[in-house]
Amino acid sequence: MEEMIRAEHLSYEYVRTWEEESGSRQERIQALDDLSLSIEKGSFVAVLGHNGSGKSTFAKEINALLKPTGGVLYVRGMDTAQDELVWDIRQSAGMVFQNPDNQIVATIVEEDVAFGPENLGIPPEEIRRRVDAALETVGMTAFRYDTPSKLSGGQKQRVAIAGVLAMKPECIVLDEPTAMLDPMGRKDVIDTVKRLNREQGITIVLITHYMEETVDADRLIVIDDGKMVMDGTPREVFRQVEKVKSFGLDVPPATFLAWKLRKMGLSLPEDILTKEELVGALCRLKSNI
Amino acid sequence: MIRDITIGQYYAADSVIHRLDPRLKLVVAVAYIVMLFLIEGPVAYATALAALAVVIALSRVPVKFMLRGIQSIFLLIVLTGIINIFTNKTGTVLWGQGWYAITSGGLLFAAHIVLRLMMLILTSSLLTLTTTPIRLTDGIEYLLAPFGRVGVPYHEIAMMMTIALRFIPTLLDETDKIMKAQQARGADFESGNLMQKAKSLVPVLVPLFLSAFRRAEELATAMEARCYRGGEFRTKMNRMVFERRDYIAVVVMVVFLALEVILCIIG
Repeated sequence: MEEMIRAEHLSYEYVRTWEEESGSRQERIQALDDLSLSIEKGSFVAVLGHNGSGKSTFAKEINALLKPTGGVLYVRGMDTAQDELVWDIRQSAGMVFQNPDNQIVATIVEEDVAFGPENLGIPPEEIRRRVDAALETVGMTAFRYDTPSKLSGGQKQRVAIAGVLAMKPECIVLDEPTAMLDPMGRKDVIDTVKRLNREQGITIVLITHYMEETVDADRLIVIDDGKMVMDGTPREVFRQVEKVKSFGLDVPPATFLAWKLRKMGLSLPEDILTKEELVGALCRLKSNI
Repeated sequence: MIRDITIGQYYAADSVIHRLDPRLKLVVAVAYIVMLFLIEGPVAYATALAALAVVIALSRVPVKFMLRGIQSIFLLIVLTGIINIFTNKTGTVLWGQGWYAITSGGLLFAAHIVLRLMMLILTSSLLTLTTTPIRLTDGIEYLLAPFGRVGVPYHEIAMMMTIALRFIPTLLDETDKIMKAQQARGADFESGNLMQKAKSLVPVLVPLFLSAFRRAEELATAMEARCYRGGEFRTKMNRMVFERRDYIAVVVMVVFLALEVILCIIG
């Protein structure tokens, strides 16, 4: 197994200052607390956590936008604390942010996709090839000469993914990419991300608080209060309904319904994730009676 | 209503002027404007005006559209003309006396100034009307690059222009949203005198500024995440290439400038 990301006792602490009537107050906040984990190359890992759990801090650490205050983080074997490796790390681990409006730089879609490779100093002909391929992959070729402000949220987010893709990363970190989108846009973005993982073998770290987006992941990590509290396949994690709920998170609706029914005495399997699985299990139960 | 504002107006059309290299258009526009201040005599001016008219015709931008650019500063032009009529006291007195005397020299000079101003504005608006903002920015960056050695941050200037253009529609949208949200809660932006109207805009500007700063910070992070580190090592996807029509335009411009010099000497 080849490693894409390895965290060893990773911590991040910052000081929050605010004003009160009695004067300015300070508080130390431990956004990440002794986090150790390893992410396999080519895997699709979902990171779930409620607001303020430290999941966004983790994303920024992977991109070397933040440096660990304790422990070490390796991206493809490169230590993110080393200044001279920053650009290589950012090229290998691209990042997509929450607000589609605040990450598009250029006034034309294809110019924006070219922004990353232009920064890497790649020859123009190669940039052109990469931009064309990236726009094709996310299905935005028809909009290449459009102004980003005329696109929908989901389309803008796919342009942002194309922008990262054109840098030829091995890993893409998406920090709540669907939080500001409508259901249609959300589906488009998640489908694109899944396809990138399946067809191009790009490692995906999807940070989200929508549990239904994590169902198809290879692995699900739950972060709470800067610590990794659960780790396993979505099935393994979501079968522990009470534990997931204790971190302020929900389980997929089908899983929740199955859990309720089980509590009422129906003998349903514990690891139901989708509506279809629930229907199947209920039908089997009925024919057995 | 706020959506109607278009800045850096571009008129989409397919013409020779639209397709010319932006660097060339910038240089030609500057050269033409400088020339306007140097030439003298009615023949030289008439030739310059004729040349401008030909270029406007070639650009396929409707004259009506062009004149809209002048409309906004019409008052300034008229005022300049009036001031010049009364301050220049050369030639014979045609009307009045003392400080309000109108002289033939004054009239001529005022007409001269007004004509020159109009041509200047037409030239610069023709430049923005026929060049997309992104090509214009590329052209400016290229032309300013030689001044990089004396400390002109040419890449930063171009990047600032690009980002400003990118965020104008976003911030206009946001202004609209904030105003509607406040109108829904009873804010009144329409009645009252100028002072009251300006005051009522303060509650719009405060959240707008806050959000602009937040956006700027997020954008900076996103740019860093995409390996942005200033103009160094940077390449461009679209390189500007001089084509045959650009060389022809250079020859035409040189011939025209030579003609103007000759006209000024003999005229």
